[in-house]
Amino acid sequence: MVREPIYTLRVIWACMKKDIKSALTERAFTIISTLVPLNILILLSLFVIGGGYAPTAVVMEDTGPYAQQFYHAMSTAHSFVLQKVSAPQASSLMQSGRIVAVVTIPADFDARIRQNQPVQVGVEINNLNTDFTNDIRRAVPLSITSFYAKAFPHLVTVVPVEHDFYQQDTDYIPYLTVSILVIGMVLGGVLLSGTAAAREWEHETMKELLLSPASRWSMVVGKMLGAFVISCASLVIVLAVLIFLIGVWPVHWGEVIAFSVLTMTIFIAFGTLLGTLLKNRQPVAALAFGVSIPLFFLSGAFGPISFTTVPLQVLAQIFPIYYAIVLQQHAFHNFTLNTYGLGGNILVLCAYALALIILAAIVLRRSTTAH
Amino acid sequence: MKAAAPAIEMIDLCKNFGSLRAVDHLSLTVRQGEIFGLLGPNGSGKTTTINMVSGLSAPTSGQVRVMGYDVQRQARQVRQILGTVPQETALYEELTAWTNMDFHADLFGIPRREKRERITRLLELVQLLDRKDSRVGTFSGGMKRRLALARALLHDPQLIYLDEPTLGVDVQARRAIWDYILALREQGKTVLITTNYLEEAQALCERLAIIDHGKLIAVDTPDHLKQIYGGSVIELDSERPINALAEIRALPGVTDVEQEGTHLKITSQGVSNIVPQIINIITQEGELRDIAVREPNLDEIFLRLTGAELRD
Repeated sequence: MVREPIYTLRVIWACMKKDIKSALTERAFTIISTLVPLNILILLSLFVIGGGYAPTAVVMEDTGPYAQQFYHAMSTAHSFVLQKVSAPQASSLMQSGRIVAVVTIPADFDARIRQNQPVQVGVEINNLNTDFTNDIRRAVPLSITSFYAKAFPHLVTVVPVEHDFYQQDTDYIPYLTVSILVIGMVLGGVLLSGTAAAREWEHETMKELLLSPASRWSMVVGKMLGAFVISCASLVIVLAVLIFLIGVWPVHWGEVIAFSVLTMTIFIAFGTLLGTLLKNRQPVAALAFGVSIPLFFLSGAFGPISFTTVPLQVLAQIFPIYYAIVLQQHAFHNFTLNTYGLGGNILVLCAYALALIILAAIVLRRSTTAH
Repeated sequence: MKAAAPAIEMIDLCKNFGSLRAVDHLSLTVRQGEIFGLLGPNGSGKTTTINMVSGLSAPTSGQVRVMGYDVQRQARQVRQILGTVPQETALYEELTAWTNMDFHADLFGIPRREKRERITRLLELVQLLDRKDSRVGTFSGGMKRRLALARALLHDPQLIYLDEPTLGVDVQARRAIWDYILALREQGKTVLITTNYLEEAQALCERLAIIDHGKLIAVDTPDHLKQIYGGSVIELDSERPINALAEIRALPGVTDVEQEGTHLKITSQGVSNIVPQIINIITQEGELRDIAVREPNLDEIFLRLTGAELRD
């Protein structure tokens, strides 16, 4: 028998190598698991892109400077995807359900504005979706205010004076995609490590591990490292898409790497625990999705959780995804979403990681192949 | 390893699963260097017993010692000297034979400088060296069993446990596996076998323990078991089915009479002059065509002791 520390390292290395080799033989499953986070990133980004702006047709019956200025006010309202069309085209688009609203700028728009007469801007709404309908109802008056503020600044005397808390604005997509990166790590980690652990029971190879003199924790660490290596591949793919395709650059690269390692460690340990408990890959996969997605929505993925209700805030803070999102948002956008500071959030995640690794080792120690 | 200690010592071993007592005050000793068979119908407590021996399951009460080591307190030492061939082989089928062996070598801390040589030697022994780079999933049942055996021997264990070592393998592979097992005894290893094949137990084991409902029913050499529990079996073929079965059953020493058509099987215990009396009864009804007197086989002893077929 080789000396203890070297032996332990050898077991960790052997378990890691073996799990990677096993995963590589199940290529389809591994590729799917690796691409799941990317899939979610694309899916939710499409959801945001598709759902954020209401497709709206604008019929420009007047093309005068005020009409153009009004159109410009609408285009900067962050609520519409505008297209200039003729009245029959607008009608056809509305009939076919491809637009939410038709805004008609009347032929006498400029003339009436100049004469200081009331103007009626026609707004025809396809009100089958309240969310979009309300967007239109809010955005059209906003566009009118903005139009007046620009065209007749002397008439609009009440103006906001904005003082920004942060130096730069963070758009919805950059905010959300960072949260998606976290859920990708969560899902990928749980799925890859959970199925690797469950596979040992399903294929009845756990006996080989349990009957060896190696310590249970060294096996757990080895298996976790195997899942970690594959999860890293998944992370690199998602990061590449996030940075090079979506254009969300991190402010602190070191933090991205460190917080990703910490987040993956937690959820890989959780997956190992889940796989050891359930001993079957199918429920592990189902639970990986079933647990991760609701927690994602709960943990401030779409906006700071502090903007929501107190019960939701309390609930969110029970789960590590919340702290992982807080830390990654800091790494990418340099803002902190809670008052715990970076150290506090890191400490909570480290505690989770340690607790889950210990728990996974205990569960494995208590596991027997018979009962 | 403690030289003078028995290979396995079970002392008043009990295991409960809720209200079910799977192992019931089992005391048993396996000597170093012997091939020992553990027999019992399905659900008799064999696997639970073995799990307690290998440290996979904790006894509710009692004690198990392997080569003098307490399995509960010195599990690591026990695992180091125990080689196991589980029924399901526990091989990584998606990996190659070599990778399986290599992984086992790392788990058991076999020195790197010896690893390659040991793996090569054992794969050669089980005639799988030419398939070392093939995935185990492509192997036949017999090849998997041989590989599992080679893997169990890789860390040079003193006690080898084989669970149904020839289950589902063909006759040729079975003979090869038997030869490997018998060779282990020559090397001074202790072998513990659980099997449902009594022929196998008879061919390999120096001593057998029969357990049922978690209790030890009998433990002895196969021959001695036959002598103690077996008596004689008389098999006859007559011209027509015999009507005087009650008369035969009433003979002193007759313990069982079974009739199938014109074939009659009589089991007797301890009476040597019973055969002429049986012949006399049968020839009164018709012609006796064939008669054979033999020792009972282990199946029959097992049936008598446990009241159940071994392959329940």
